[in-house]
Amino acid sequence: MKIIVAIKQVPERDAQMRINAAGKWIEESGLQFALNESDAYALEEALQLKEKHGGEVIVLTAGPERVGPTIREALAKGADRAIHIDCNDLGARDALGVARLLAEAVKPESPDLILTGLQSDDLGQGQTGVILAELLGLPHASLILHVDKTDAGLTVKRELEEGWFQTIDLPTPAVLTIQSGGSKLRYATLMGIKRAKTKELHTVAAAELTAPAVILERIALPQKQKPTQILSGTPKEVAAALVEKLKFEARVL
Amino acid sequence: MSGIWIVIEARDGRVSRISWEAVSAGQKLAALTNQDFNAVVIGAGTEGLAAEVIAKALGKIVRIEHPRLAAYTPDGFTLALQQFIENERPAQVVFPHTYQVRDYAPKLAARFGQALIGDVTAISEGPVFTRQLMQGRLNGSYRHSGDGPCFVSVQAGAFRADAVQSGAATVTVFTPTIEAAQIRTRHSECFRGAAQTVDLASAQLIVGVGRGIRDPANIPLAQELATALGAELGASRPICDAGWLPIERQIGSSGQTIAPKLYLALGISGAIQHMVGIKGSQCIAAVNKDPDAPIFEAADYGIVGDLMEVIPALTEAVKTAKQ
Amino acid sequence: MLLFTATLAEPRLFSLAEKLLLVVLVAASATGFWLRFRVVLGKILQSKPDVSFHLFPIGKRIWEFVCEVLFHAKVIRQRPLPGLAHAFVFWGFCAFVLVTLNHFSVGFGVGFLDPTGRFGRFYFDLAAVFAVACSASILGLFVRRFLIRPEWLGEQLSYQSGVIAFLIFLLMVTYLASFFVAEADPAARVLWWVHTLALLAFLPIIPHTKHLHLVLSPATVFLSRGSFSRIPPLAGDEDFGLIDGTDLTRLVSLQAYSCVECGRCTEHCPAAATGKLLNPKEIILGLRGFLNDLGPTSEEPLLGKYNPPQAPFQCTTCGACEFQCPVGIEHLPILVGLRRGAVNTGTWQDDYGSKLFLALERGSNAHGLATSERDKFIEKVGLPIFDGTQEYCLWLGCMGGYDPKGREIITDFARIMNYLGTSYGVLRKEKCCGDPVRRLGNDLVFQQLAEANLQALAQTKTRKIVSICPHCVRTIQEDWREFGAPPTVEHHSEFLARHADQLPRPSTISATNSESFVAGHDFSRAATAPNSPGALAPAAETIVYHDPCYLGRYRNVYDQPRALVNLAGELVETPRNHERSFCCGAGGGLVFLGEETGERIGKVRADELVATGAKTVATACPFCNSIFRDALAESGDAAPQLLDIAQLTARRLPKIERTES
Repeated sequence: MKIIVAIKQVPERDAQMRINAAGKWIEESGLQFALNESDAYALEEALQLKEKHGGEVIVLTAGPERVGPTIREALAKGADRAIHIDCNDLGARDALGVARLLAEAVKPESPDLILTGLQSDDLGQGQTGVILAELLGLPHASLILHVDKTDAGLTVKRELEEGWFQTIDLPTPAVLTIQSGGSKLRYATLMGIKRAKTKELHTVAAAELTAPAVILERIALPQKQKPTQILSGTPKEVAAALVEKLKFEARVL
Repeated sequence: MSGIWIVIEARDGRVSRISWEAVSAGQKLAALTNQDFNAVVIGAGTEGLAAEVIAKALGKIVRIEHPRLAAYTPDGFTLALQQFIENERPAQVVFPHTYQVRDYAPKLAARFGQALIGDVTAISEGPVFTRQLMQGRLNGSYRHSGDGPCFVSVQAGAFRADAVQSGAATVTVFTPTIEAAQIRTRHSECFRGAAQTVDLASAQLIVGVGRGIRDPANIPLAQELATALGAELGASRPICDAGWLPIERQIGSSGQTIAPKLYLALGISGAIQHMVGIKGSQCIAAVNKDPDAPIFEAADYGIVGDLMEVIPALTEAVKTAKQ
Repeated sequence: MLLFTATLAEPRLFSLAEKLLLVVLVAASATGFWLRFRVVLGKILQSKPDVSFHLFPIGKRIWEFVCEVLFHAKVIRQRPLPGLAHAFVFWGFCAFVLVTLNHFSVGFGVGFLDPTGRFGRFYFDLAAVFAVACSASILGLFVRRFLIRPEWLGEQLSYQSGVIAFLIFLLMVTYLASFFVAEADPAARVLWWVHTLALLAFLPIIPHTKHLHLVLSPATVFLSRGSFSRIPPLAGDEDFGLIDGTDLTRLVSLQAYSCVECGRCTEHCPAAATGKLLNPKEIILGLRGFLNDLGPTSEEPLLGKYNPPQAPFQCTTCGACEFQCPVGIEHLPILVGLRRGAVNTGTWQDDYGSKLFLALERGSNAHGLATSERDKFIEKVGLPIFDGTQEYCLWLGCMGGYDPKGREIITDFARIMNYLGTSYGVLRKEKCCGDPVRRLGNDLVFQQLAEANLQALAQTKTRKIVSICPHCVRTIQEDWREFGAPPTVEHHSEFLARHADQLPRPSTISATNSESFVAGHDFSRAATAPNSPGALAPAAETIVYHDPCYLGRYRNVYDQPRALVNLAGELVETPRNHERSFCCGAGGGLVFLGEETGERIGKVRADELVATGAKTVATACPFCNSIFRDALAESGDAAPQLLDIAQLTARRLPKIERTES
């Protein structure tokens, strides 16, 4: 199977973030970056499919020069080659714009399967994969935990709300967005990193920026995080107060 | 282009709560932009759904009906709504942000050269849509630009379902054209995960028991509370070491890692080996005798008190609330 | 006694036939020796050279040689009676060098030591004394191995040992007996031949058995890697650790062939003691078996048939094995090397291991917690930030930064430093020092952490680090050297001991002023702590001190923590203390790897600590502290208090209002 995995480099999960001077994005200098979490699961799924059925895994990413180490990490984990869409204005494109960039790079490859992570750790829109399917005219499924290849195409396990699941059958080629937690991730090994040095990394220029339909105007800190609420009173009182909070404030009951 | 259309989603044959919240959001948006707001229900045999919505202050209700929409598929729903939108030409389309909507709304929006503004937590003058970035650590303000409908989905709990005003709406039916070949995916019946004796990793509600419980004879008290909540019972390491609960129930770095909506920690001090196992919890509530117990730093809600008194009181309160 | 007046009977007039026979026998014996020894030597020399081995500085090597080989220091100190017995056997051999040379010369009629001459008499009498000691010793050792049968010598009886013991005994007895016969007596000739045959039988046995150590171990001791648990850097792009035969280096092969099967390593191994698969002696013998059967050019995996793949991953890297080995085998580089081979290639699949590696790939600490947790702690306690102007950088580490007990230790230590007026600060950003991944053999993550940390330290112009964690101290000082020049680092016990005279003395505590002292908060019994704020345990309390592996055996720091314990109360020792301290079980990355099989190492040690009857357990490592915290919890309220030496020391400081921002 020829599988393309679209990955994104995002700021490290618990990096301390400051808003930049313009107020439109975070200050990137001094930040550490890492592979987006659900993309790591997408890559894992692709590698497992390759191990089972043979073929090729290609990682595809759009971003500035700093995405290099993340691409190497993906190659170290077992991807065969990589395509880097060199793009410095990713933030100025909306989800449709980004998907268009990716679609351009995917079309000449004619893969059997395209995997993306469910959503990115920074913007968290969860749309790129679905739009990509639309642009390529391919069937898709999202929130996928497990992929099996069948004679007719694919059978996948999809996560639904509240502990329910569903299986979906679809033909290839197709696009799937992969949810975190479906498999056990492999760790990057020294051997993998050394081998990655000889794998192909092909850089392409990004298409011209077109006017986005959705604009992120500014970012701001949310209201201060609520500190721990210590409830006081008699056991009966605190019990009632807690249940009230859990039901209406936290909305978990 | 004008008008706001809210796409209503069903759950077990009834309008889902989050859909009511979307209606409420649509209501707010309509007030801000001085437009009508309406709703669609989509599927096969949607009379019942429409009947639920009819008593709300909506302009119109449209039932998008087609046999091929009886079960959800992204192709089917996208096609149907695309045709509807081409027909109605709304300014905004509002969805509840559900797994289902995430599966087709971006596709639908792309057909109109748009991108979905998803998981919105607030709508303000502009209209400006607020959504969370960086896993909730930052808020972003979004605006729609250019021609074409604006597609928006709203986060669960961000708008109040009970803010929807009553009224009377008219119902019409829209029948889209959907060929069999256009539906490319086949979806099975929904099913639950494989039944295991203990699956803390996917449990949504968990009650954890720590050394504060003092005696194995007191464990049934905690179990009763867990049962009342509909929660699984877990424990910190010393409890499992002592054999008071089986090792499968151990939560922590050398046991299970959990990510429930609610973790209720009873008599657990908050040692790091336990904390790394629970950090994925959405909401943590703790009961402990020691006001300095580290767990209170990580908890959203805390009760300092005697477990033997607080646990039964909690069980009572939960049972009352569930009635 | 007859011995003092008797002389050694040297038979004369050997016939030509006898001389010819002697030539043939000597040639046969030497050939027998050489045929096998050549093979062993070949296997060692065919192994990969050790790239990072340096012969110089040679002084240390000579000193080790003198102490361990000539004086049998460790052999005797760690197992006194059998050790002394072995020493006498060895010294007997040494004393017999001239005797043996002379013995063969006599056979050819050219004996050079006259048994009646001054020097000859003196020398033979001296050798006789050694012979008596040697016979008694070898007899004793025989009885120990075959009748008493200590468990670490293994289940199976070693017939080789029996044969060798017999031959040695025979050699000594025939020598001594020659004092009691006349020169012309045919018995003298018989004794001479028996002695000769025993010798000539002995020689070829040497390379075929563990007695090869007679030849090899002096070299093994001399050619050590240079320091305790010295993990060699990987050699080039194709080296991932010890995977197959071709990865075995000359030092490893030499050490494998030097094993005497004494079992001292296994005797002191915490994993072996608690029913795990890991048996350090078997690891070494497994490698020897591999070398014997397949050799150092084989591409067969080292783990599998010759050693179970799980065994190396049960090692806590406590170092008791390497420390105890009398012939200089360095177990730790071998165990870590085996782990490297499995981890660097991704062959090792372990859920907890992967979780640890992924947490350190993407985050800053081994727990996988958000960095903001550490920031919150620093802010809450009001720790000063290191800006290059302060003298010390206080390294928090993963435990000091994130674990509640570790944080208490840091807080108390910071209080002490404030009291002493030391200028210090904590780094704004710290990544895990990399100890767990270094010991588990993940060189990729370790390199990333070491390099990132070294860069951050250089940027902040850190010159001196003080840390509460012996693992951080060791890793920063030794293991980071591979990637740069770390600042000087010391453990807080070393720091505190140096300032001991500035700290309040215990005599200033009395019943009346005890309220002005703040006790260290003891979470191990938070609910019923007798030392709730304001109270103080009596100064005469008994405190049992546990030597952390990475502070004791790894760093040789035994006295400084004890000095601090003595200032806080009455020091009590465990049965296994100082270099014999029994590991808590957390090291080697194991604390991050989930539950152990069999008995818990930490529980065994905790029971030992509790059995001393002391009221308080003192630790100097936050990992030991964490393990004992859980283990002691099982004893409930009857458990002793658990306090770090910083907490014990801080108890005596004058109370200050805690300002929490």
